[in-house]
Amino acid sequence: MQHRFWLSLSLLLVFCYCSYGKWLTLNNVKVRQDPTELGGPRISIEYDINEPNLLPSSPAYVFIRYSEDAGQTWHLIPKTALRGNGHDLVSKAGHKEVVWWGTDQTSFSDFVMVDICVRALAMVQVPAGKFARKSLSGAGRDESKTQKPQSDLSLYYTAKYETTLAMYVDYLNEVGGDGMGWNKRMSHIERCGIKQHNNGTYTVEPGREAYPITYVSWYDAAAFLQWCGLRLPTESEWEKAFRGGFYLDGDHTRKTPNPMPERPYPWGEKTPGAGGLWRCNCDTDEDGFAYTAPVGSFSQFNSPYGICDLAGNVGEWTQDWYSTSFHAGLDGFRMVRGGSWMAVPVGCDAVTGATELPLKESSIMGFRGVR
Amino acid sequence: MNTVNRRDFMKRSVGAAAVAVLPYSSVRAANEKIVIGVMGLGGRGTYLAEKFADRPDTEIAYLCDPNTRRFARAREAVEEVQTRKPKLVQDFRKILDDDTVDVLINATPDHWHGLATIMACQAGKDVYVEKPMAHNIWEGRKMVEAARKYKRVVQVGMQSRTAPYAKKAKDYIESGKLGKVHLVRVFNMMQHPKRTARPGAPVPQGFDYDMWCGPAARLPYDPSRYWLNQWEYSCGPIAGDAVHQLDLARFLLNDLPYPKAVSQIGAINDLQDGRDTPDTQLAMFEYEDLTLQMESTLWTPYMKKIPSATRDSDKFPHWPFCSTRVEVLGTEGFMYFGRHGGGWQGYDSNGEIVASQYGRQADKAHQDNFIDCVRTRKRANADVEIGHQSVLLCHMANISYRVGNQRLVFDPKSESFSHNDKANTFLKREYRAPWVVPEQV
Repeated sequence: MQHRFWLSLSLLLVFCYCSYGKWLTLNNVKVRQDPTELGGPRISIEYDINEPNLLPSSPAYVFIRYSEDAGQTWHLIPKTALRGNGHDLVSKAGHKEVVWWGTDQTSFSDFVMVDICVRALAMVQVPAGKFARKSLSGAGRDESKTQKPQSDLSLYYTAKYETTLAMYVDYLNEVGGDGMGWNKRMSHIERCGIKQHNNGTYTVEPGREAYPITYVSWYDAAAFLQWCGLRLPTESEWEKAFRGGFYLDGDHTRKTPNPMPERPYPWGEKTPGAGGLWRCNCDTDEDGFAYTAPVGSFSQFNSPYGICDLAGNVGEWTQDWYSTSFHAGLDGFRMVRGGSWMAVPVGCDAVTGATELPLKESSIMGFRGVR
Repeated sequence: MNTVNRRDFMKRSVGAAAVAVLPYSSVRAANEKIVIGVMGLGGRGTYLAEKFADRPDTEIAYLCDPNTRRFARAREAVEEVQTRKPKLVQDFRKILDDDTVDVLINATPDHWHGLATIMACQAGKDVYVEKPMAHNIWEGRKMVEAARKYKRVVQVGMQSRTAPYAKKAKDYIESGKLGKVHLVRVFNMMQHPKRTARPGAPVPQGFDYDMWCGPAARLPYDPSRYWLNQWEYSCGPIAGDAVHQLDLARFLLNDLPYPKAVSQIGAINDLQDGRDTPDTQLAMFEYEDLTLQMESTLWTPYMKKIPSATRDSDKFPHWPFCSTRVEVLGTEGFMYFGRHGGGWQGYDSNGEIVASQYGRQADKAHQDNFIDCVRTRKRANADVEIGHQSVLLCHMANISYRVGNQRLVFDPKSESFSHNDKANTFLKREYRAPWVVPEQV
């Protein structure tokens, strides 16, 4: 995934990249620089993406980052600087090419060595339209007078999976660690599983790559998603992703009514353990997981859009915040939605939420991104 | 050890006079951990559970809330810092029934503070109860009686009076630097929203709403926090917070005794959403040669609680817009005092600052004091009698509001109002069986 080249010499150094931990696999990645007469190089980034299920309703989100100082600092290439069919939302498998007219965004000069990283993660489309918003903003704690629960949302995309340890470790290694985004509880082998090394790098404990990241504050989550070019969902976005809109194809076409628009759980009305079949990772000895589960472990019980683990596993930070007079001297509360591996089964429903101060780091809280 | 079956005992003691006095329980050895059950797993209860779990000398054995959805956050916080896995229960009587439990932490809504504390005392538990200590004046007195009768340590969560800087301020006032103090102004000025009542929503699975209502009427379930503004469950948002500053004012003046009378201008000036409780309260409590004034609002966003960056630092708040300050006015000097570790500053008759001290928050020290008292059987810093006297001021102001902002003369001996039957109807609530505070605790 990481590619280094001498900008002015057009020397390509291509490294093999094996995706893991719910990053999508990109093959045959190549970077090429072409001289132009337009005052700067034209950088071409090519790769193959062979995910079988790439569709407009379930695209990949591809983002590209670069470093001019041998990996000391990294920057996200703005979407507006890229052209081609292989960045942002990619809804069809095959060979992709992205063109970056880099000099507009960088301070490149001759003989600068540049590293390029291309990553992709699975997204799911949530079509525009109305849905049944049942929860109260801030779990009824909204005292900001400004938050209005929305029940009619524009088109957006949400990550199919909760952010994984593998993804987060990539982030830590790129942003330099050194305390940023890291806390030592993340080394808890059963509840998280990130090892910090003396040289300041991080690795995932073997076998835990696809487990969800935990012990992240709201600020950590927001920083990771800024690194990706994504953001946290609002409470309304989270809830619509959970139970679906009144029409699953959206209000523009209205061909596919949601059979249960007020469903309490992503899969419908049955409680998580109804009939002895466990549909999400919650507080029971019978769902197969004592702590978190690898993301997608209950994929037969996804939301109507095919989004995994909205119920249980880890509670998910949302973007909305709520002030409260009792803590007006502190930072406002943020909402965490979706229950967790430690929640009672009925607490993994569409409306249960917890208000947490944004610095809270917990083994039952993680996040996913939206665009 | 007591041989009375505890379940039988509890049956007798709820709604009827207890017939037995528990023997004085043995105090745990210094190297034994104090065992705690936490009742009420909202923000404050979860915070207290985490803090007591993180101590080397205490451990959490039970986490209790009628709403099972509240278990996870508290359990996670506790299990992060202690190895013992707490039991999760919806009925706090399971905590009281367990002889291995020493302490009940009561961080419930206001309407549960009194009865659960009394039942815990009857069951031989010491209690850390959150403020406002009692839902009504009569109930507060019964809490005191229960604590004394069963020789229980009851600490009220009014931690500010434990702060060393508060003691220094008190010493400064007692030294006479302010002259004779004739006026104390207590501020509690906040920002609350209008709320929309949503009565009649279905009770969520996993929530024992009947238990949540307990001694209060079982009104139609409302998923919002509208209950904060209903007399049935609450003393009101003003009382719930202003009691801290009122208690500080009492502390600074050597625990002022009962006031002679209360006058009140209370109103719902801005938050007209059908609530019971006022959003504006200007109450004046009359003492022998002192007036204690409480100025409270719920619609003043520019008035700020002391910022987190100031609370535990060598800084003072911006006093004019400090929403939780106390002003002490003497014949020779003036003092600003700030809650939340805001420190204090003394001024002379020329308005010059002549004494200052930065403050620190006292949550940890208050918890230390409680555990120390559990072991030594001393009275706690915010003993139940002190808690009763402080919340009594809130109740007096509320009752004045409820009878049309009348001036009410208070009879300390009977803890009732003189010549005002209507006001006296608010001294005690109606309790819903079986959750009745008995006359004889």
